[in-house]
Amino acid sequence: MPMNTKLILGCVAICLSALDGVSSALGQTGVVAVVVSEKNTANNLSIPELRKLFGGETHSWPGGQSVKLIVRAPGAHERVVLLKLLGMSESEYKRYWVAQVFRGEAQFEPVALFSNAMQREALGIFPGALALVEVQDVRPGMKIVKIDGLLPGKAGYVFN
Amino acid sequence: MRHNRAALILLLVSGLSHAQDSVLSDRELIQQLAQQVKTLQERVDVLESRHQAEEVPDAGATHAPLGTAPPQAADGDGQSPSLMQSLHESHGIQWRGFGEADYKALDQRTPELGTYGFVPGSHGNFYTGDFDLLLTSRLSDKASVLSEIVFGEKDAQSFGVDLERLLFKYDFNDHLKFSVGRYHTGIGYYNTAFHSGSWLQTTADRPLIMEFADDGGVLPTQAVGLSITGTIPSGRLGLNYTAEYGSSDTIRPDLLTAKPEDENNGNHINVGLFARPDRFPGLQIGGSIYHDRISDFTLGPSVRISQTIINGHIVYVRHGIEFLNEGFLLRHAYEGSATYNMPAFYSQISKQVGHIRPFFRYQYINANQVGFLSDVALRHGPSFGARYDFNDFIALKAQFDHTIRKGQPDLNGLHLQLAFTF
Repeated sequence: MPMNTKLILGCVAICLSALDGVSSALGQTGVVAVVVSEKNTANNLSIPELRKLFGGETHSWPGGQSVKLIVRAPGAHERVVLLKLLGMSESEYKRYWVAQVFRGEAQFEPVALFSNAMQREALGIFPGALALVEVQDVRPGMKIVKIDGLLPGKAGYVFN
Repeated sequence: MRHNRAALILLLVSGLSHAQDSVLSDRELIQQLAQQVKTLQERVDVLESRHQAEEVPDAGATHAPLGTAPPQAADGDGQSPSLMQSLHESHGIQWRGFGEADYKALDQRTPELGTYGFVPGSHGNFYTGDFDLLLTSRLSDKASVLSEIVFGEKDAQSFGVDLERLLFKYDFNDHLKFSVGRYHTGIGYYNTAFHSGSWLQTTADRPLIMEFADDGGVLPTQAVGLSITGTIPSGRLGLNYTAEYGSSDTIRPDLLTAKPEDENNGNHINVGLFARPDRFPGLQIGGSIYHDRISDFTLGPSVRISQTIINGHIVYVRHGIEFLNEGFLLRHAYEGSATYNMPAFYSQISKQVGHIRPFFRYQYINANQVGFLSDVALRHGPSFGARYDFNDFIALKAQFDHTIRKGQPDLNGLHLQLAFTF
């Protein structure tokens, strides 16, 4: 095999290896975890329960603690996952919360935060907080809740 | 030779493990870099937001979108006061406004009741309809106050103030939410889903059967009293209940003469049950039964009627689709005399396509030909049009109505409405 061909094949192999590494790293950024405060006793939620929580239909945790919704601002991946969960577009989501406030079902629309660091901070402040966070941004102080008995990354997990 | 082979194998194994370590460390490095890029992007977002806020100092307070916390340092260890402030439940008054500007044209030969500022008998005119202020305040973790004040346009551009709702609410838990005050009765779906905010409605007006009583509607849409609502533990069925006890005291103007007719309501009881099954997110199926006793002054001051209103509804609102269906049976049983059953329904469907939401509605009401609802009689017909949302706060609606009336000429109308919230 000529030397040039070997060199090209070597470069291709290195590039493919690098791409594989990048794609696996990027693939992990798509997985979103449902997190609560460490003080929260919830360990598992079903999708309908999660939908009712983020839709403002369920206002309290089983222990009586008020639910505090923490969401990401438009443009964040977690926001896209939230809208998909609720089956709404961004404008429908806005209108939905205006209606919820108008009906007296909520005091105001959940406060949208610009970063997961702010979400982490909020989870530390409110024992009843609930948020969606990319798995790689999960830090001590955040408790991952199983969804339909599955942890993020497991086969069949809904936000993989 | 053996030693040479062993040395070669060791060299290969060590080379492979080194290569594996190298691949692992590369992946870790890529992950770290990706994380750093993400953190930096978040910081850029924060700095850009701050920069924009600094550029418009006077509008700084309103620059962030509603419901969005002011940006903070992404990696701040301490709990920043503004974040705390944004997230903590406010004990002040939260308020939101709803307004509208309308133009309506109607080929009405004989003037009927004008509502929301529309001049009866005119070919067409502008009016401002309802200007609605919603005020809410949280008093404690479980107690709150809600009030809805409407400045409604009356005849000759005069305005009246109506306290549509004033509720003291106490939520014990999701199963028991108590409220007392003035409320919109929970008859069916529409009355408690849209209240008085035109911006929330897809159509330019309410269905005939759901029209407010003070605008000629036949239902007791408002009352003062007690209300409890909540969820019923029912697994995937998602059952909810409503129970109300109060005084409606409905005064509705006659559609033909505009003369107010006091129904002299006794206390009412209304119970409702609806399901939001887990299997079909966005679907609501339910019904309600309302009962009170009213007077028919058109037949005499002492003529009392036992009024029962039965509702059934199927509603689907999800994935851009809005499909509302409600049926009613108004039963008026005159004491020692006849009983009249008056059916009514409306069906409305719309679908969001980009900024536009085309809609179609068909409505029907067949009221008693004798007595105090004879002005309504039989009315039915289609409405269609479209709603265009400029953004999350402003919408323009265009609606065409064709109403068939028993014993009177059909009505054709064009209704344009600019509805907004702020």
